[in-house]
This record gives sequence, structure tokens and C-alpha cells, in this order.
Amino acid sequence: MIRELTARDGDLVLDADVCVIGSGAGGAVVAAEIAAAGHRVVVLEQGPHWTSSDFTQREDEMLPKLFEEGGMRQTADGSVLVLQGRNIGGSTVHNLCYAFRTPDPILALWREEHGLEELTPQAMEPSFARVERQLKIKQIHEAELNVLNRKIRDGARALGYSGFVTRHNREGCIGAGYCLLGCSYDAKQSMLVTYIPKADAAGAQIYACARASRIEASGGRAQRVLGQVIDRHGEEGASIEVRANTIVVSAGAVATPDLLLRSGIVPNPQLGANLHLHPSVLLAGFWEEPIHAYRGIPQSYYIDEFIDLEKNPHAGYVLMPISGFPGLSAVNLPGFGSDHFASMQRFAHMGGLLVLLHDRSQGHVAPGSDLARPELHYALRADDAALLAEGMVHCAKVLFAAGARQVVVPYLPEALLLERGDDLAILTRRGVELGKIALASTHPQSTCRMGDDPKHAVVDAFGECFDVSGLFVADMSVFPTSLGAPPQVTTAALADRTAHHILSRLS
Amino acid sequence: MEPKTTRRGFLALAGATASLAALSQLRALPAQASALPAGSFFSADELAIFGSVAERIVVPGDAAPRFTQTRALETVDRMCTALSPPLTEPLPALLRLVEYGTFVFDFRFARFSRSSAEQQDASLRGWMESRFALRRLGFYALRNLSLLAYYAQDEVWPAIGYAGPLQDRKGAA
Repeated sequence: MIRELTARDGDLVLDADVCVIGSGAGGAVVAAEIAAAGHRVVVLEQGPHWTSSDFTQREDEMLPKLFEEGGMRQTADGSVLVLQGRNIGGSTVHNLCYAFRTPDPILALWREEHGLEELTPQAMEPSFARVERQLKIKQIHEAELNVLNRKIRDGARALGYSGFVTRHNREGCIGAGYCLLGCSYDAKQSMLVTYIPKADAAGAQIYACARASRIEASGGRAQRVLGQVIDRHGEEGASIEVRANTIVVSAGAVATPDLLLRSGIVPNPQLGANLHLHPSVLLAGFWEEPIHAYRGIPQSYYIDEFIDLEKNPHAGYVLMPISGFPGLSAVNLPGFGSDHFASMQRFAHMGGLLVLLHDRSQGHVAPGSDLARPELHYALRADDAALLAEGMVHCAKVLFAAGARQVVVPYLPEALLLERGDDLAILTRRGVELGKIALASTHPQSTCRMGDDPKHAVVDAFGECFDVSGLFVADMSVFPTSLGAPPQVTTAALADRTAHHILSRLS
Repeated sequence: MEPKTTRRGFLALAGATASLAALSQLRALPAQASALPAGSFFSADELAIFGSVAERIVVPGDAAPRFTQTRALETVDRMCTALSPPLTEPLPALLRLVEYGTFVFDFRFARFSRSSAEQQDASLRGWMESRFALRRLGFYALRNLSLLAYYAQDEVWPAIGYAGPLQDRKGAA
């Protein structure tokens, strides 16, 4: 049963074996696996239940529907835009479907430095396999690359940079290109069309527009979740109470620590700390000819020349093609006025390449003025800033090698326009400073990190809080360090592992 | 701190307010006459201020319709209605701060909407480059809403070479 609550619904009091908060890459997996084993599962998702027939391919309609704070969530100082989903299916509904297993060196790092001895590739294999089967993960064929990704591939090859065509979770994709605004064709194998229907078919009670506002424990044991209906129009409604001895928080690396901090049941200074963002800078290239980069699979090529996790699992960066629609592209271009419009007149000629940092920098999440707006604080280390600047140089090189005539670097308040042949060292000289260049994050993580020692971690190797028995976390919050790779499969696989651990306990 | 609708209050707000939400107190400022109808979220005079700001954010010349010649204001109003109230509540007050903040921030005795285009650009640049994060956040909220709404207008797309949504999707007419 999937039911979207309205402000007119009455109070809801439910009993369950497991209450899952959030329905994205972590929560949907936990709910489906536990419900499929015959247990009573209640899912509380704060966002609405949109389906493919709601996905209109229009930014003005989809951004407020699919993203936290309408796509305008930012760090407290406004320096980093943070994009997260708020709907049934979470961020998997708007993500771009890169499908990577956790890199082996990262698992090794987590074992060696965070005491997670059991997180070997072999131990993770069953979870990876289940997730990949459910999400229909497969290799993208070269012929499926869109114009932008082909150009970026050719540019990288011309420079001798290492890169590859990735795997993805799409089935029957027609290449419309609107993945970021929700797939109108149900081709994207997001949680919305995979694990959520599986959970539903197995009897899980899935409530949309159901915001959890507090978790209560008694005697060191999880007891119940309290919440409230906030309908799709933002109107407040009845109260919600779910009584369950097992509670899984999967609200994402911002909302999960916020909820736990507000609940006051996890007295652990690590809670909300260690925030990594995978911050990224997007450079826009302009080609002589129209390339219509917004059509086709948006991201299918991946440049890994500048990350070698075997040698250094703590740092590096990757380069990823990216395209947008008019509104988002306009937002990403700095400035305003006639110069800004002149750039937008070349929208069809525009394609992006972003540098995404495997960050050592850290921040924290703190409760904000209300549940809708937790505060994110993030500081960029000097060595990370230098790596981002270096990555921008390589982005520009690849874009020029791919045929771009001009490259726009999103310095604030004035963008920097680079012409072919310009000295790119200007980018390392100007560097990267928070607030002086447009930065974005789609991968906040590590705010309830996993480990073997409560002095340094919030949850154990199966995602259970050290401080509260029966209280689990299953989302990107649990990553002990920055992942250094797209996180969808890692999140789902760790959630699968948590689910099967809970099942062993329930049975 | 309780915001005041005085010059001193504006200064205090600009310099020390920790949250845009606090600015919502400024809604008490007198409304200006406007030919625009009220929206679902903004009042008519708030939409008029928004329009004057957005006309400087998006300057298409003769290449495309101006912001206020499209239905972009309606789109802004609709987007703000769709967003969570805690996120949008400060916007009316923010608009009034832009409109009347010229007295404080720019030392000019003309409201934003009655200033010249050059003065308006200078005023917006002051917001964009402010050393106060709150002012910068306010600027980007208005800028980004303006851009998202303007480039959502079908009649703008030919000027930028965007083909628009596909028609074979589920739910399409």
C-alpha cells in the first residue's frame, strides 16, 4: 500500500516490526527486503508520491516537486548548492544513474582505518549482486553516448587521459535526456519503480507526506517514531505515531542527523559531524555548432585519470560530463543582465564538464530553525581547494580538446571566459575559495559514520547506533569517509546488508 | 533581535540578522499601488517589485520577450506556492528590503523600482557582492527564481535554441 497523506487525514497510530524513515536508495531497500521476508514494515516519507505521469520535463514544475528546498538548499554561508530528493524514491528519482560498486581501496580503507573488518568485497558481494539485479544495472554501449559524452570521450583520449563508459540502471531508455527531472518513461530503474513496488507488493505500508519529527527510545532501546502530516502543498495535518522496536533512519546525510539530533537520544559528538560533500565545479564549454547536450543519456563517460585510490584512498577527483536544461543552466552561469543572456543565447551550443572532488574537507549538520531547513556548515581545506583548482585546469583542457571554442569558469561575481590558447594556469593562480566560485554537491555523506569505536563513529558495521539498540541508519550518512565515486550502489548495498542483519535478528 | 521598520532597523537586519526568516516582520511596510493582480503567494505590489528586479536579472534586448512580457511572474508565484512555506515566507520581506534598501545600502533616495536601470544594476551588484552572506543569499534567491521562471517560458526557447519537452511522455496531452 502506498498512500499519500493529506492535511484532512486523521491521526495515524500504527504498530510495526520495522519503521523506515525515508524511501531513497537506503530506505527503499531496507523496506523491501524486510517486507519480502514477511515482517510488518511502515515507511514514512516526508515528500509526496510522484509517478512518471507527473514528470512533465519542465524545470519550473519539477524542481519544487523533486528537490529539497526546491533545489535551492545551500550550506549556511551560501557557498555550496546541495541537491537532494524529497519524494518517494528519494534522490534516485532525479539522479543520473551512474552505477559503481564501492571501490575496493575504499573498502580497504574502511577496514583498516575504521575497524570495519567485515566489509570485504567478498562479504559485500551478495548485497551488490542483489542490488544490481533489482536495479537492472548494465553496461552502457558506446553507441548510446550522446553528442556531449562522445566529445568529452574524444577530448580525453586526445589528451591521453584515462576514462571509460560507465554502467547504469536504465532499461528501455529512449534517450530523452530528462533524467534529472524524473523519468517520464519509467526507464530509469530508480527506487520508485524497483524496490518501492517490491516493498508494496510484499505488504509494506508506505506513507508519503509523512514527516518524522522525533524518535523516542526507552531503556536504551528504540521505541517509537512521532511525526506529522505535511501535505504536498505544505499544509500541516494530523499527527503520526509508529510503534516499532526496530527503527531505520534513511533520510539522507542531512535530514538523518538532524532528526537524531532533535530527538536527543544519541549522545554522540560524532553525530552530524564529518560531513563530506563531494563538492563539484562545473565548467561550461561552448562549441561552434549546436550540440543539444540536453538530449540523450546525460552522463555515460567518466574520466578517472586524476584519482588513484590504490595509491591514495583519501584524495583525488574525477571529471564527469553534465548538461542541463535552460533554467538550471542559467542558474549555473554566473552574473546577471545582458551578458548572462548572451551566454544563454548559446544554450544549444553548451555542454558541461564538472570536477567532482573526493574530499578530505569536513563540515557538520546542525538543526536549523525548523525541520525543513537543517543547517549545513562546510569548510574547504587548502589542499582540497588546490585539487579542485587543478581539476578545473584539466576540465578546461578536456573541453578545448573536445572542440569547445570557449570555456566559462563560474567565478563569482564575474565569470572567467577562457578562449582556446589562453594560459590555463590562471585557474590555479586564482584557485578555489568558498563563496568566490559556484560549487554544488549532490552527494552529502558521512554524518553518522560507521565504525567499530563509538568515540569515532555513530553506528556499527551493520548500521546500528551504538547508543540505542534497534535504531539503525541506512543511507549515505554511514560512509566512514568520502566515497570518491558515485554513491547509489554503495548506499543500496550497505542498506541491503543492514536489512539482512535486521532480518537475522527478527527471525 | 526584533526587526524594526526604521533605517536603523534595516541596518541592523542587513548586518546581523541570522536568518531570512526574521525579515518576515517587514511585511508591515505600506504597499504600493500596482496594476498587477495579486498572485497566490505574492501580493500585487510584491509582484511589481519582483518584476522590476527580474527585468534587470534577465536583459534579453530585442532577442526575446522581456521578463514582464511573459508569464514568468505567474511562474514565480506558482513555484513559491509549491515550495515549503518556511522556505518562501521571507521572500515578500526580502523584496521590500530590495525596494526600500536603496536608502540604506546605496545612499539613494529613490526606491529600487523607481531608479534608473544603471542604478538598479548597481544596487543588485551590491547585493550580489555583499560581504554579508545573508544579503548574498537574498540576491541569489531572487536571481535564481527569476532565471528559472523566465527560461521556463516556451516563447523564450527559440532565442536560446532549446527544443523543449518531448511530447511522447506519459501524461502528455
